[in-house]
Amino acid sequence: MKLYSLSILHKGPTKANLLKAAYDLSSFSFFQRSSVQEFMTFTSALIVERTTQGSRASVKEQEYLCHVYVRNDNLGAVVIADTEYPQRVCFTLLDKVLEEFSRQVDSIDWPSGNPDTINYKALDIHLSKYQNPREADAMTKVQAELDETKIILHNTMESLLERGEKLDDLVAKSEHLGNQSKAFYKTARKQNSCCEIM
Amino acid sequence: MAESEEEVDVLVQRVVKDITNAFKRNPNIDEIGVIPCPEARYNRSPIVLVENKLGVESWCVKFLLPYVHNKLLLYRQRKHWLERDALVDITCTVLLLNPDFTTAWNVRKELLQCGVLNPEKDLYLGKLALTKFPKSPETWIHRRWVLQQILHQFSAVDVKQPHQGEAEQADAERGQELSEHLARTLHQEMKVCSEAACRYPSNYNAWSHRIWVLQHLAKGNVKVFHDELSSMRLWVSMHVSDHSGFHYRQFLLKELITELWQAPAGTTTASSQHQSSTGSSSSPLHQSHSQANGESPGAEAAAEEERQLSFSTLIQLFYAEMELCSDLIQSFPGHETLWSHRRNVFYLWQNLRREPHQCSSNGGVESVHLSDSDPVLPEVEAQSAAGQKEAVNGQRNEPMEVDGASLPHPRDSKRLKRGVPLPAPPALPSEYSFVNSILDRCTNPDQRRFALAYKKWLDTVIGQQP
Repeated sequence: MKLYSLSILHKGPTKANLLKAAYDLSSFSFFQRSSVQEFMTFTSALIVERTTQGSRASVKEQEYLCHVYVRNDNLGAVVIADTEYPQRVCFTLLDKVLEEFSRQVDSIDWPSGNPDTINYKALDIHLSKYQNPREADAMTKVQAELDETKIILHNTMESLLERGEKLDDLVAKSEHLGNQSKAFYKTARKQNSCCEIM
Repeated sequence: MAESEEEVDVLVQRVVKDITNAFKRNPNIDEIGVIPCPEARYNRSPIVLVENKLGVESWCVKFLLPYVHNKLLLYRQRKHWLERDALVDITCTVLLLNPDFTTAWNVRKELLQCGVLNPEKDLYLGKLALTKFPKSPETWIHRRWVLQQILHQFSAVDVKQPHQGEAEQADAERGQELSEHLARTLHQEMKVCSEAACRYPSNYNAWSHRIWVLQHLAKGNVKVFHDELSSMRLWVSMHVSDHSGFHYRQFLLKELITELWQAPAGTTTASSQHQSSTGSSSSPLHQSHSQANGESPGAEAAAEEERQLSFSTLIQLFYAEMELCSDLIQSFPGHETLWSHRRNVFYLWQNLRREPHQCSSNGGVESVHLSDSDPVLPEVEAQSAAGQKEAVNGQRNEPMEVDGASLPHPRDSKRLKRGVPLPAPPALPSEYSFVNSILDRCTNPDQRRFALAYKKWLDTVIGQQP
């Protein structure tokens, strides 16, 4: 079980704004890491944009699960994990980092902040500590299961999109993705295996 | 772009040379990869070396591979001659990009046999190929072939040893050197397998290679098996749906049963002495083996004592394994792998309890009976016997009325009071109470399904055993 990324974003009227992110891409091939990181940022932003305020959701994409929580104050967080990682622990982690972040960073900075200006350092520590859910979360065994009724489950990224919207177009337009990542996405798409990228 | 035949020829020669030079420049390259890059960049080599990572830009692969394949095939059909050095470089390039190209590995086997290549070099090349293609069957197969070559070298030295009385000390030193080499090789193989297992989930090829290596490089070495069992604990806890990893633990347990219990004392001692050179002599088990080896009048008693010691080691192993399994099932609900592991471990244990006599005919040692009236392990056996009667009387539901948290080991407190150091071995009633405790508070539909299936299996398979 593995956590790949943990990001905090602000959900604006049209776009989500990335405030801080931490990644653990050690399990990916060295030369793919930069593209994978861009795709994780892109995916996290897209998911926050498409999630309504005050809700939690899990989005399945190939062998990954992206868990999102957007609070009523528009602050949101996304953790990307593999399918083995316990969902309940992911949402505990999201609650925890959002709580901590909102205490440390003034809400005036949320709409316009970016990873360089925001002063919140704990994300990397949380990500590495939670790699082993049983050490990080004392409740893992006692409360292994989650009240799933409160969480929306999407079986693909596509189900987040609006009618007529295409993932390919969003990738092509994205500012999170560099040319190499876009090219990589295209080839992977052609071979019908976008899992190659992420 | 290089399209004409001559241009491709020039390009390929350059790439092969660049790869060879990269290895010369940095002998510590530890990973290879393809860099997504659809177009060639002007006047730049497609081979990139960053830190210890060797990257090949993707655009050149489509020119490179067919060309090199073709060249090697022509060489094999004796239509085109290649020098040995060229062969080494070309097979290296092609195998890094397509490690399942059997012909290339075969060319390397020949080069190895005539001494142009050394085995370590090929193990290294295979290791690199596995960083990009962690399953590649041909790479694992070739690896085993190379390891066998290394083992042959060792056994050749072993045979020579007794004949050279004068150079005994030199030989002893060389023997020491070799066994250190063997231990290093074993360690390296374990590392290669671990990395491949992390790169690809349920990597059957990597895990079966690991088993092969233990069987050939650490045969009968109880310490290595113990170490593997404990060092893989964290790994399986972090990969709870990786069936191959859990199957490996089942293999280790089976081997330990064979070594500690079923093998007649004499054989075990011999094999442990044989292996002690690889650093296993510190194991307390081996010490007790060597005590039992002497033909003194006390040998029988010592052997008897040793068997008891072995058996309590096994009880502890199985207890720990079932504890681990319970813990993981409770922490990570809904993984079939964990339930299947539980079945396998419990079944192994049941069989061990039921077939203790296999060893009795060997060595004249009176068998340690594991029947309910066994005098050797009265405490433990009396407990499980009592537990079984409970189950037979149809009181399986009784544990459900007790608080779930204390269920799995209802006998713990009793045992502590009596001061018996051994944990309770797995038994049918404790299995039933475990499943019931899961069913009591589980809402995950998968977990529920697996628990019910396990309960049914207990009823129909274990419960029906005579």
